[in-house]
Amino acid sequence: MVSFIIRRLISAVLVLFAISVMVFLIFFATPGVDPAARIAGRSASPAVVAAVRASFGLNRPLPIRYLLMMEHLFIKRDLTSYVNPNTPVIPQILRAAPVTLSLVLGAALIWLLIGVLGGVVAAANRGKFIDPLIMFVGIAAVSVPAYWLGEVVNYFTQSRFHSSVFSWVPSSGYVSITTSPVQWALHLVFPWLTLAALYAGIYARVLRAELVNALNEDYVRTARAKGLSERRILVRHALRCSLVALVSLFGLDFGALIGGAALLTEVVMGLPGIGQLTYNALQSLDLPVIMGCVMYAAFFVVFANAVVDVLYALLDPRVRVA
Amino acid sequence: MPDDPTSTEAVLSVRDLKVSFATRQGELRAVDGLSFDVGSKEVLGIVGESGSGKSVAMYSMLGLVRDSNVTISGSVKFEGREILGLGDKEMQSVRGGDVGMIFQDPMTALTPVYTVGWQIVEQIRAHTDLTKAQAKARAVELLGEVGIPNPQRRAGQFPHEFSGGMRQRVVIAMALSCNPRLLIADEPTTALDVTTQAQILDLMEKLQQSYGSSIVIITHDMGVIAEMADRVVVMYAGRPAEIGPELEVVRFPRHPYTWGLLGAVPRVDSKNTRLVTIPGVSVSPLDVPDGCAFAPRCEHRMAICDERPALLGDGEHVDACWLSDAQRVAIRSGSKTSGGRP
Amino acid sequence: MSGEVLLRATDVVKTFTSRGKKLGARNVATAVNGVSLEVRRGETLGIVGESGCGKSTLARCLVQLLPVTSGSVEFRGVELTGLSRRQLRPHRREMQLVFQDPYASLNPRRTVGDIVADPMRINKIGSDQEIGDRVRDLFVTVGLDPASIRRYPHEFSGGQRQRIGIARSLSLNPSLVVADEPVSALDVSVQAQVLNLMADLQESLQLTYLFIAHDLGVVRHVSDRVGVMYLGEIVELGDAEGIYGSPLHPYTEALLSVVPELNDTDAPRRERILITGDVPDPSARPDGCSFHPRCPVATDECRTLKPPLIELRPGRFVACHHPRNID
Repeated sequence: MVSFIIRRLISAVLVLFAISVMVFLIFFATPGVDPAARIAGRSASPAVVAAVRASFGLNRPLPIRYLLMMEHLFIKRDLTSYVNPNTPVIPQILRAAPVTLSLVLGAALIWLLIGVLGGVVAAANRGKFIDPLIMFVGIAAVSVPAYWLGEVVNYFTQSRFHSSVFSWVPSSGYVSITTSPVQWALHLVFPWLTLAALYAGIYARVLRAELVNALNEDYVRTARAKGLSERRILVRHALRCSLVALVSLFGLDFGALIGGAALLTEVVMGLPGIGQLTYNALQSLDLPVIMGCVMYAAFFVVFANAVVDVLYALLDPRVRVA
Repeated sequence: MPDDPTSTEAVLSVRDLKVSFATRQGELRAVDGLSFDVGSKEVLGIVGESGSGKSVAMYSMLGLVRDSNVTISGSVKFEGREILGLGDKEMQSVRGGDVGMIFQDPMTALTPVYTVGWQIVEQIRAHTDLTKAQAKARAVELLGEVGIPNPQRRAGQFPHEFSGGMRQRVVIAMALSCNPRLLIADEPTTALDVTTQAQILDLMEKLQQSYGSSIVIITHDMGVIAEMADRVVVMYAGRPAEIGPELEVVRFPRHPYTWGLLGAVPRVDSKNTRLVTIPGVSVSPLDVPDGCAFAPRCEHRMAICDERPALLGDGEHVDACWLSDAQRVAIRSGSKTSGGRP
Repeated sequence: MSGEVLLRATDVVKTFTSRGKKLGARNVATAVNGVSLEVRRGETLGIVGESGCGKSTLARCLVQLLPVTSGSVEFRGVELTGLSRRQLRPHRREMQLVFQDPYASLNPRRTVGDIVADPMRINKIGSDQEIGDRVRDLFVTVGLDPASIRRYPHEFSGGQRQRIGIARSLSLNPSLVVADEPVSALDVSVQAQVLNLMADLQESLQLTYLFIAHDLGVVRHVSDRVGVMYLGEIVELGDAEGIYGSPLHPYTEALLSVVPELNDTDAPRRERILITGDVPDPSARPDGCSFHPRCPVATDECRTLKPPLIELRPGRFVACHHPRNID
């Protein structure tokens, strides 16, 4: 186990390094693009551009610039934005992260619950009416674009029925859980449901497929021959063995969403999370913020994958030995 | 045989079992009129090639064929009680309680995520009132009985930590855990090496004596039948071709399919220059002839073979073939490269 | 049987390395551990052993599908180990493989005619017309209907697919056919058809077979000489009649004793010698004789000193300190 964790850590550091170099190179080494001219603005004179270049250190060799940026980001922790020179990057990320975490964690709980339930019910009722129904609702929910679903939800909760059924729904935005847990939850209920709807369907479909496979396995036949009840066979044997696939899917999705992939939901629902921060930074080509966000996202993706590996080992004893 | 009145003594009594599946290509007749009895403490061998319906027959009678397109008819009596068509709950108490099962591939027969001890305890607890601790103790005892060294420690290990032979021992321990009166073994040694096969067959013989269970052993290997079985059912295309005491069937086979089956096996104890082959391939279960199912591949086919022959013969040894005794003697004395030597 | 030596393997070793449990640890499994044998022109050499004994790995090493870790493989007097792919090509043509699983070894998207023709096309032998004729001839040779060359593998039964595999292996007129469990996936009646076909082809095409199988009856039936493998080593080698009649190695003796027999004569059944336990892990090979932990007659000598494969009688080789059945 110790060697496993060490191996994992080394590969995580390597991945982070590779990603940071790639982002850096895309930004600074793309032929024909002069970042100094971008920062200086569209109609800046050559003198201004040169001044910008000097003040941002853009006239120094690439490796040095990379190392300097990394030093400011990780060691001095005082990297500042190019666009708003007095705004440090790290506090921005630290402000946005809890918003995204709140959104994704809540939504994940909901979609796991619905996905597992839907998958189990569908698999248990193969060939009956309810199975294709669940699968259809699942694929429909997956196919809906996030921004459209978000806008529709907003329309109904914020304007159409806001005066009647949904009068309890606060206007969009984010309230920290430390400020008011109730307001935190109320503000997030519909963002949670919106985001969860996009994933629950996939999870139900994947789990159903895994369960149907598992139910054809020899060990399920053995379980039947042992005289166990169908419910016990489904839950204790088939579901238990199917969870491995779900966990790996969840690891990928969760890591990506925490890293900013919930962008569309955040924008539509007015949540100032990592997705929105990254989006704004990309709009203004604000490299320090982009770099910070990318590092943060990569960290979570790598971290989530490591957690998945550990969960694998817990769920499947065969992995423990290997 | 089907009208044999001794069925009151039989542990398992099967009459005219038919299993068919509705498929897009038409009706697939997997088992087509199978009747046999298994006596108390008897070992019955069911032998046949792939697609002969030997496994489907046993699985269907225990409700293990879970396909909405299946139709099962006939009668299956376990200790005098009809079990075909029992409800889920009642069937669950038969499976694993009265009837234990052993499967072909021990590598996949156990759930990979639980310890073997847990899996045996699960079965014991499903059929008895033993406490967890008692069931655990019984599981360890069983593992010892099937020859697993250090059973206390091994009970806490997962299936992948056992070799194939050891896993089959675990499956056997599980099958015996509730003292079943009948043990159904579906190709129990096919996936194993010959030295391991010998260990497992040896173990099954010993346990049968101490537990007094009847055994139905399903196999494609006439050698395993010869080692284990008291009586044999030879199946072809879902139908019994020949039924009789093991020694009789092996030494004086009556049905042309049995002749081919015995003569096709390369032997370790003598070198036959040329193997007997059965021409053609097995008949498709989608298209079983109305007459004798073996007729299309039979070298001794006659006009009457378009009608289905009944299982007839003297006493215990019966077969379904239109050849007269005189014809059989003539055919058999003319052929030298045969498995059975009349 | 003292024909010309077609294939000679000397001290062939094949190891597989995998990552161990500890950081940086390596797990070395010796699948083939110093095998020497000769295959003579026109004969069938059977290799028999239980799963994991290395017989398939040995076959792949002999035809250079796997590089050997050490040792030498000579084919028609030419050393094959260390040759480049291009240098190997003319020799490869002469050595063809027939695989175990007729379901997995045929490309499901190609017609069976193409499958049989491919080796000729790849080696650029003959015009399209000539290749087409040859494919039809091969179909007749292996007992298939030449009209079926445009059909796909899934339209054939297991036995027919194995015939297609055999036709493919014969398309380049090889002198050596290496058959790795060619009948173990087939039902007995079909198995007998394929074995008879292989015997007929050997006679009419003067083929040499290296026949690998776990089924002792099948190996006896087809082989002139037999090698018995255990844990990557040949423990006994000799003429089939001799080995099956009076095995010298305790492992061979036990193996033969436990094969289920049809008791169709009054001859007393061979006494069963049950060997206990399982085959050891090839990465944790026992000291001395590899078989000693399971051997009923092992002594201290066996635990420490590895017995070499020696010619105990003319043509009969055995690796054992205490050979059986010598009076």
